[in-house]
Amino acid sequence: MDINTPNGFRLDNSGRRVVVDPVTRIEGHLRVEVNVDANNVIRNAVSTGTMWRGIELILKGRDPRDAWAFTQRICGVCTGTHALTSVRAVENALGITIPENANTIRNIMQLALYVHDHIVHFYHLHALDWVDVVSALSADPKATSALAQSISDWPLSSPGYFRDLQGRLKRFVESGQLGPFRNAYWGHPAYKLPPEANLMAVAHYLEALDFQKEIVKIHTVYGGKNPHPNWLVGGVPCAINIDGAGATGAVNIERLNLVSGIIDRAVTFTEQVYLPDLKAIASFYKDWLYGGGLSGRSVLAYGDIPEHANDYSPASLLLPQGAIINGNLAEVQPIDLKDPAQIQEFVTHSWYKYPDEAHGLHPFDGITEPNYALGRNTKGSRTDIHEIDEGAKYSWLKAPRWRGHAMEVGPLARWVVGYAQNKPQFREPVEKLLHDLNVPVGALFSTLGRTAARGLECQWAAHELRRFQDKLLASIKAGDLATAYTEKWTPDTWPAKEVRGVGFTEAPRGALGHWVSIQGGKIDNYQCVVPTTWNGSPRDPAGNIGAFEAALLDTPMADPAQPLEIIRTLHSFDPCLACSTHVMSPDGQDMATVTVR
Amino acid sequence: MSGATRTNGSSRFRGVVDLAGVQTDRGATIYVYEAPVRVWHWVNALCVAVLIVTGYLIGAPPPSVTGEASAHFQFGYIRFAHFAAGQVLTVFFMMRIYWAFMGNRHARQIFYLPFWSATWWKGVWWEAKWYLFLTAEPKKYVAHNPLAHIAMFFTVTLGNIGMIITGFALYSEDAGRDSWQARLFGWVFTLFPNSQDVRTLHHLGLWVIVTFTILHIYAAVREEIMSRQTMIATMISGERQFRDDRDD
Amino acid sequence: MAQATETFYEVIRRQGITRRSFTRFCSLTAASLGLAPAAAPRIAHALETKPRLPIIWMHGLECTCCSESFIRSAHPLAKDVVLSMISLDYDDTLMAAAGHQAEAILDDIRTKYKGGYVLAVEGNPPLNEDGMYCIDGGKPFVEKLKAMAADSLAVVAWGSCASWGCVQAAKPNPTQAVPIDRVIRDKPVIKVPGCPPIAEVMTGVISYITTFGRLPELDRQGRPKMFYSQRIHDKCYRRASFDAGQFVEEWDDEGARKGYCLYKMGCRGPTTYNACSTVRWNDGVSFPIQSGHGCIGCSEQGFWDNGPFYDRLSNVRQFGIEANADRVGGVVAGVVAAGVVAHAAVTAVTRLTKKR
Repeated sequence: MDINTPNGFRLDNSGRRVVVDPVTRIEGHLRVEVNVDANNVIRNAVSTGTMWRGIELILKGRDPRDAWAFTQRICGVCTGTHALTSVRAVENALGITIPENANTIRNIMQLALYVHDHIVHFYHLHALDWVDVVSALSADPKATSALAQSISDWPLSSPGYFRDLQGRLKRFVESGQLGPFRNAYWGHPAYKLPPEANLMAVAHYLEALDFQKEIVKIHTVYGGKNPHPNWLVGGVPCAINIDGAGATGAVNIERLNLVSGIIDRAVTFTEQVYLPDLKAIASFYKDWLYGGGLSGRSVLAYGDIPEHANDYSPASLLLPQGAIINGNLAEVQPIDLKDPAQIQEFVTHSWYKYPDEAHGLHPFDGITEPNYALGRNTKGSRTDIHEIDEGAKYSWLKAPRWRGHAMEVGPLARWVVGYAQNKPQFREPVEKLLHDLNVPVGALFSTLGRTAARGLECQWAAHELRRFQDKLLASIKAGDLATAYTEKWTPDTWPAKEVRGVGFTEAPRGALGHWVSIQGGKIDNYQCVVPTTWNGSPRDPAGNIGAFEAALLDTPMADPAQPLEIIRTLHSFDPCLACSTHVMSPDGQDMATVTVR
Repeated sequence: MSGATRTNGSSRFRGVVDLAGVQTDRGATIYVYEAPVRVWHWVNALCVAVLIVTGYLIGAPPPSVTGEASAHFQFGYIRFAHFAAGQVLTVFFMMRIYWAFMGNRHARQIFYLPFWSATWWKGVWWEAKWYLFLTAEPKKYVAHNPLAHIAMFFTVTLGNIGMIITGFALYSEDAGRDSWQARLFGWVFTLFPNSQDVRTLHHLGLWVIVTFTILHIYAAVREEIMSRQTMIATMISGERQFRDDRDD
Repeated sequence: MAQATETFYEVIRRQGITRRSFTRFCSLTAASLGLAPAAAPRIAHALETKPRLPIIWMHGLECTCCSESFIRSAHPLAKDVVLSMISLDYDDTLMAAAGHQAEAILDDIRTKYKGGYVLAVEGNPPLNEDGMYCIDGGKPFVEKLKAMAADSLAVVAWGSCASWGCVQAAKPNPTQAVPIDRVIRDKPVIKVPGCPPIAEVMTGVISYITTFGRLPELDRQGRPKMFYSQRIHDKCYRRASFDAGQFVEEWDDEGARKGYCLYKMGCRGPTTYNACSTVRWNDGVSFPIQSGHGCIGCSEQGFWDNGPFYDRLSNVRQFGIEANADRVGGVVAGVVAAGVVAHAAVTAVTRLTKKR
């Protein structure tokens, strides 16, 4: 069967079916099935979200000030970003403002998350798609050292260092217990790096594992712990005390120094390790420019990191806001999260039920009624799926669309929007990277482009971290110690009638929005539309395919039994499936209609 | 306690209905509450008063004191008063249980309900009617009237036991996992693994006791005035005097 | 680096455990697993010849915060745990293999290390909809969980999801997510609750097993006593303010800046058993209270339903009413008091009219 989708892709599911389940090195549970043609090129792709928790229903009737803690538990990888979105949504609904310092500290925490998440993603969730660990065993430590020193000033680069590491790796492999590296795709023809680059990357895999735990200490200082630091409606929970009694128990000069020191190291690590590695690896994969999918056609960014407290207009947001449709970079369209005509969710291919499935619903009007049912062409049974039928319902993710278009979100989407808006802070690093790698702009719209945008964003975030930390110091120096406003803390200060609010952020993985309605001091309805719901969405009634499915198309596989190319492209999105929560009824049978009027 | 107080074949109550075979003489005074019972009552009342006030404050502390923490122990004293009163209450309650075995028959009354006694149930009904103004006159009772009996059994006896158990379980959290309190009462956390739930129960118990106290004091005063026997004085002297010589 | 090739047996011998204790551990382990005595030598053989304890780390309904926390460990470093202490043969979040290649590892470990691997579980299984709210390899996660537990040596329940149910099991628990010991009945389950647990507590539990060659002593609720036998409150550095009666009354007030006790802001430190106030978080940098926010009690069973987090007293939800004990009790006592006054008035009127 040959279909042309409205968003310009050709699907052919006549070839051999390849199933990857579980997709590992992601957050949550994901299944992917593809059809390959006679030349092992992917001609059809089906992405299935395979988990669902119902957190939005659990939130109903709760205190809106607690909502950040519940939604934060949607995801422990992008920890904090849901909490931030939630406090913004509740503040928006109740008309609560926050002090300038609170905005600065929230930005610092969100930027620290970008740096942490991007580093962990690149090294621990994604690198093994490009780096062959076993090949590193045959590297020459001296040549590795020369390679490392040629691309960076990072001090851990002596031949002895690499020899030592190689020795440890050798003993590990010789023990016969390969642990997490077991049964993988070592030696696969899609690996292109020379042994020395592999050894360098493995060294940095371990260094990054050590370093990532330092970055999160920024969360620990301002939020008390990581993962899942603490947040507060109306500001941030940490108080600032520079001179008075009890300063040791608050944000004081020692704490500020601790954060500053970590920021400096984060900048160094990003610029001396992450980016040089990224460029080095990319230079060997310049021919592997598959996986563009929707990125060259339709991308969406909500924007984030408000420069000024309580101002979420595009002018205040440092990360860009806007939508690009059909590859028209000349026109970035404005977005409005409250406009019922813009963001809508469809369920024709999702395990939910609408009264009228031909139409989508805005999150404020969202209905969620579970409907786990498999199509006629499913191979296997209800509880043992061999091959899924994408003609019917096939995922626990809904299909969100912007004005009917399937959109890609994430670092690449943000950077494409920023690039299209001609913002120098996005345009210049992109152009420099393209120039350094000697590739055209079109190379950006690929698996590698996604991975590169993440690296550039990490560098940008590290520098913004520095700037916001300095801003905090300046504000404290000027005598402003406020971190929370409490006039509207207690429910008796809230409006009695129903109020609605939207909060949005850019999670490391992409645009994230929470829609809340509050009545009588309690949550009446809560809906989240998360990055992975955009990217991993199943098809909609018109037949548009989502970003995962689009990105997998037309990729040649060296050996369909070893799906390295598939997971490489999927990982470039940094999927987070636990985020794909929607509501259902307690007994799993009845309808739990959560409607807002 | 069965039909002995009835005249033959009649359902009409005679004299004192809560005690089998006892006939009150004219102008009768009966020694009901022995000294240990009376002492327990007033000590218990005092402890409960302290426990209610401090217990409430533990849930909703008074405004903060200023100055260095090392210079104050305000909340500590509140908690100490609560714990001390709880310990005293427990010791006296144990003594009260002992006296249930050693004392007169009235000392046993609040520890059980004569669930199978039709007479008693009729008494409950009669007393309920008395409180609902549906009857002109109550019956006479040597010890607690049946309605009071129910209240005593559930709120004083079971209430005390429940509060002692949850109270000591909570105290064991302070005393530590190796304390005797933890060994004796740690099982509470098997029933309620999150000790916040035990706190919620214990705190609800406070309000049960507050509610009981309101009713108890009102009923005692009212009965002192309205009933056919002495009330408050009885808990002081131990003697119950009847105000009329009619049968019921 | 030498320990990379040391066997589990060599490691524990180096720690001073005798051969005799080792064989005793093996037979006790066999007994505790309900295995035949013949299994003991097999366990011993596995531990003697296999350099590192195989660990299978599975994910159910969860948010991966436990895995994230695990890699934050400062002592031991997560990389040293993975390279030298254990053999992390399966972990969805970190493993290189995917799909069939990943599934094959599970089968291989089950056969080769029967009774000799530790199953670590992050998240929990949903039981509604035949378990298909969490699908793994096309099948319900709960099936895979039971199968892998059946042949394990012991089970570690990472975090509050696996231990208690956590957020997806909060009322009304739409997917009917259950703690893993509801479906794993015949194995010792070590519960390491927290959302997530502290990194060093997680690696501490693992290294306790590999270092001392036995499972840690557990409390009444199945948690390692070494980390979960005291409340956060008991060792909180703000405890002096609690006893003094100095509380944060409002966010960012004078008390907040001076580091007063967060009791009035709903801190669950007094009801939460965890090591946060002693071990602290992220290499001892801070913990929630130190950074100005009360504890939300994330290592306690059912903590999500003991809200609101910012009220000292939990809300009671019964008979369609939701309010805390003081509000419920205050209303009841108030109504009763009003009833008493009314009753007294009627009594007085009746008495007066009768006298007349």
